[in-house]
Amino acid sequence: MTAKKSYVNLSAGRIALSILKYGLLLALTVVALVPFVWMISSSLKTSIDVFSVPMKWIPTEFHWDNYLKIWERVPLLVYFKNTAVVAIIVTFMQILTSSFAAYAFAKMQFRGRDLLFMCYIGTIAVPWQVYMVPQFIMMRSIGLYDTIWALVVLQSFTAFGVFLMRQFYLGIPNDLSEAARIDGLSEYGIWARIILPLAKPAIATLCIFTFVNTWNDYMGPMIYLTTDLNKTIQVGLRRFIQAYSADYNLIMAASLCSLIPVAVVFLFLQRYFIEGIATTGMKG
Amino acid sequence: MTASQANSRRKMSALEKRNTLIAYSFLAPNFIGFVIFTLIPVIFSFALAFMDWGGGANITFVGLDNFRYIFKDFSFTKSNLGIALKNTVFYTLVTVPLTLLCALGFALILNKAVKGAKFFRAVFFFPYVASLVAICVCWNFLLMKNGPVNQILNAMGFHMTKSWTSSRDLAIWAIIIVSVWRNAGYYMVMYLAGLQGVPGELYEAATIDGANAWQRFTNVTLPMLTPTTFFNSIMMVISCFKIYDVVAIMTQGGPGRSTKMLVTYIFELSFGGENIATSAQYGVASAVSMVLLAIVLLVTFVQFRGEKKWVNYM
Amino acid sequence: MKKLFAVLLAVLMVAVMATAMAETTLKVAGWDITTTPYYTAIKEGFEAANPDIKIEWVDLASQDYNIKASTMLSGGDTTDLYCVKELSDLQNWSKEGLVVPMNDMIAADGYDMSKYAGMDACYVSMADGQQYALPFRADFWVMFYNKDLFDKAGVAYPTNDWTWDEYAAIAREVAEKTGAYGTHYHTWLSCVANWAVCDGVNTLADGKYDDLVYFYELYQGLEDDGICMSYDELKASGMHYSGAFAQGNVAMMPMGYWYASTLIGYIKDGTASMNWGIAAVPHLEGVAAGSSFGSPTGIAISAASANKDAAWKFASWMCSEDGAKAIATTGTRPAYVSEGVAEVMASAEGFPTDETSKGALLPAAIALEWPIGEGVNEIKTIVNEEHTLIMTREVEINEGIAAMEERAAEYIK
Repeated sequence: MTAKKSYVNLSAGRIALSILKYGLLLALTVVALVPFVWMISSSLKTSIDVFSVPMKWIPTEFHWDNYLKIWERVPLLVYFKNTAVVAIIVTFMQILTSSFAAYAFAKMQFRGRDLLFMCYIGTIAVPWQVYMVPQFIMMRSIGLYDTIWALVVLQSFTAFGVFLMRQFYLGIPNDLSEAARIDGLSEYGIWARIILPLAKPAIATLCIFTFVNTWNDYMGPMIYLTTDLNKTIQVGLRRFIQAYSADYNLIMAASLCSLIPVAVVFLFLQRYFIEGIATTGMKG
Repeated sequence: MTASQANSRRKMSALEKRNTLIAYSFLAPNFIGFVIFTLIPVIFSFALAFMDWGGGANITFVGLDNFRYIFKDFSFTKSNLGIALKNTVFYTLVTVPLTLLCALGFALILNKAVKGAKFFRAVFFFPYVASLVAICVCWNFLLMKNGPVNQILNAMGFHMTKSWTSSRDLAIWAIIIVSVWRNAGYYMVMYLAGLQGVPGELYEAATIDGANAWQRFTNVTLPMLTPTTFFNSIMMVISCFKIYDVVAIMTQGGPGRSTKMLVTYIFELSFGGENIATSAQYGVASAVSMVLLAIVLLVTFVQFRGEKKWVNYM
Repeated sequence: MKKLFAVLLAVLMVAVMATAMAETTLKVAGWDITTTPYYTAIKEGFEAANPDIKIEWVDLASQDYNIKASTMLSGGDTTDLYCVKELSDLQNWSKEGLVVPMNDMIAADGYDMSKYAGMDACYVSMADGQQYALPFRADFWVMFYNKDLFDKAGVAYPTNDWTWDEYAAIAREVAEKTGAYGTHYHTWLSCVANWAVCDGVNTLADGKYDDLVYFYELYQGLEDDGICMSYDELKASGMHYSGAFAQGNVAMMPMGYWYASTLIGYIKDGTASMNWGIAAVPHLEGVAAGSSFGSPTGIAISAASANKDAAWKFASWMCSEDGAKAIATTGTRPAYVSEGVAEVMASAEGFPTDETSKGALLPAAIALEWPIGEGVNEIKTIVNEEHTLIMTREVEINEGIAAMEERAAEYIK
């Protein structure tokens, strides 16, 4: 009897808990999506109505033609292509070099390791504005200015990726690499066959972050690209903002379009957060 | 010391050398690019802190003048550096724990078998990828004089007569709210990835030992997540100290100087901004960033010293 | 045959070399190139007059023009000329030797510098007395008003010799009779505080700000009575002034003359529909009617330019009467002032045809929005910061003024 009662209690508690959980999730979803709704609503207004007070969530007139205008006004397709090229190359390079370098920091002993690592972290802390001009002078002297390669070399070797990968590698038990060493695997072999397959969730994370950051980067392309047909999407968006007027409706329409690739990448990669469980389950 | 000991020692150092070489070969692809495109310009900017430079051909060594300039009449209520420092530190102290708590909470909920977990993850990550302008404009509307937030607060008996960004006391909180809300999804992804590294056996073992859900959380999940927390907290502290873009869009450092941050000040000294003329004092800007770097390195150093104590690597 | 071939080849080579040598391409940096018509007008006009020089505009983002242009100049980019958006930028550039001093070129050409109504003076370096840029555009502030709302209220249109007190009374009257806003203040410092410099004596960098009290009180009176939108809401919503006036529920708006071409564009493409006019900005008792303030936009030659002579040719043409007329046809006000130019301006398509509007194009005097000199940049930041505190009512007017004076004192030499 008592057992049954407690069972009933438990399930009632569970239901209450899951109602609370989903209620909370839904509430958070609403808050998270408010800007999204605002972007959609603004993208269908005239530029004058975007900032009217009080705010109108539903436009008085739906200007679907804004979505046509953005392609006519600026060469948006070219910007998309350039951004995609930069983002894909940078993400690839970032993952390759970071996952490689992080192995040394996480799994190997060598002289000067900690000092070098502090150097890496230290540079993250220096605001870009401070070394932007020296960097520009250097970039120009080696002839990379006004090419997308400037952005590629700028973002392919960041300290962020190395730090992120190092943290994940540290979570992988040393016994695994020790055992492999005894089996006669070289360090490169350990990296390729043992560590890398275990680091899938980390790679997926780095992939998402690098892709998103490169895709949304504004300052880098703004400084390094001048020729119109070399520009990337975020710089292209600013062309709707002018000294004496600002077409926020068009900016929002174009921003929404530019979100699509990012969403695809995220949705594609997030399955590794599930698969990761299976792989780590095996390692014990 | 016997001959064989000395011999083994020499062998060890040969092995060490070989190991170091292999380690450097791992580092090389990243390191070479890093040195050329980041480290050298950064070191140059260190040097700039002791120079007078406006972007032209003339660079003159001025010793500590730049530091003297920014520390002149230092006070947390009057001087630019003092105010920027106070605002940045306050912002960081509030934002870091709040963001990490939210991020961890989201990740824990969405790591379990919640229906629609994939959808919710994408939704919570959304604020990080959405256009910053859209986010700031939305929050400005939400926090406006007669906006929804103030209406709720008024109904609760608070007396809200102003937009948050128009008030000296609340403007920084507006920045904090937007930052927490925007970054929670980002660090949630980090935690999600970290949670994948927690072996299921540990939970099974804990359950067999009779641990309840809370005990499993504090004894298994939290310790196993410490490498992620370590990374997240360091990255968060650094990015909070570098806060600029949200401020630039929402308050431009105002009203008055109530949301002036260190990087806002650096921008003011080097390139200017809306309503801010500049005199291109790259040297002074570098000096301010040295102050920023010193604080961040100190905090990071303390965190690294503590790494071995509280961070649990397997 | 062989000989003929050799001759032909030689002729061909000479021809190729001649065109290669004769044709210089100048790269000129500006902002909003594709959407601002005068860039095309200047390019076409200049190339027609100088067939051996081609102009290539380099479009930099308007919002971050100073960052980008300063970085390019410091980095030794080969762009030949740069438009000067902010006076403070040119000061930095000239101090650092990034732009070319023009005195010798002006002297050699006997170039007439007297037609800019004083707007050229702010491009002279205080350090070496050299002219570092020529002004091609000079915007000054006027009062835009919505004729439809005035008609609806039955109030007479503003004239070119009204005072600030009259202005406030008219704003209230129109607001009461139409239910619209009587006037509109954008969130800039210049919309409220700069009227004090129209007398040509006071500046915002002189460290004395008691002359601003009148304008802050005038503004706060209007704001309290709901005659204009509140600063708080405008700032939080980020509303752009171009939309605020074009919506049609604002009777008046003091704004830079550049807004005329935006408004003409709006009416052309149907974004807005109204009858509008411009009048001179009101004046204080004792200040000449039609006094206004403004700032020039100029053109400077990069020290890294490989074609300095051609660059000077272009800069001097752009700022001459011919260049001014090309600019004026697009509804923009050039810095070069003459009857001929004013006529071209007034005949720009879409410009109001009434006499008051035409008269407002010839202001009595234009004071500089900000003077130049040591410490001005720091003071500008200070005044802006304290201004936001007054406007958000975080401090009383006199407190804010006192803070401005106290903080600015450090930079007054």
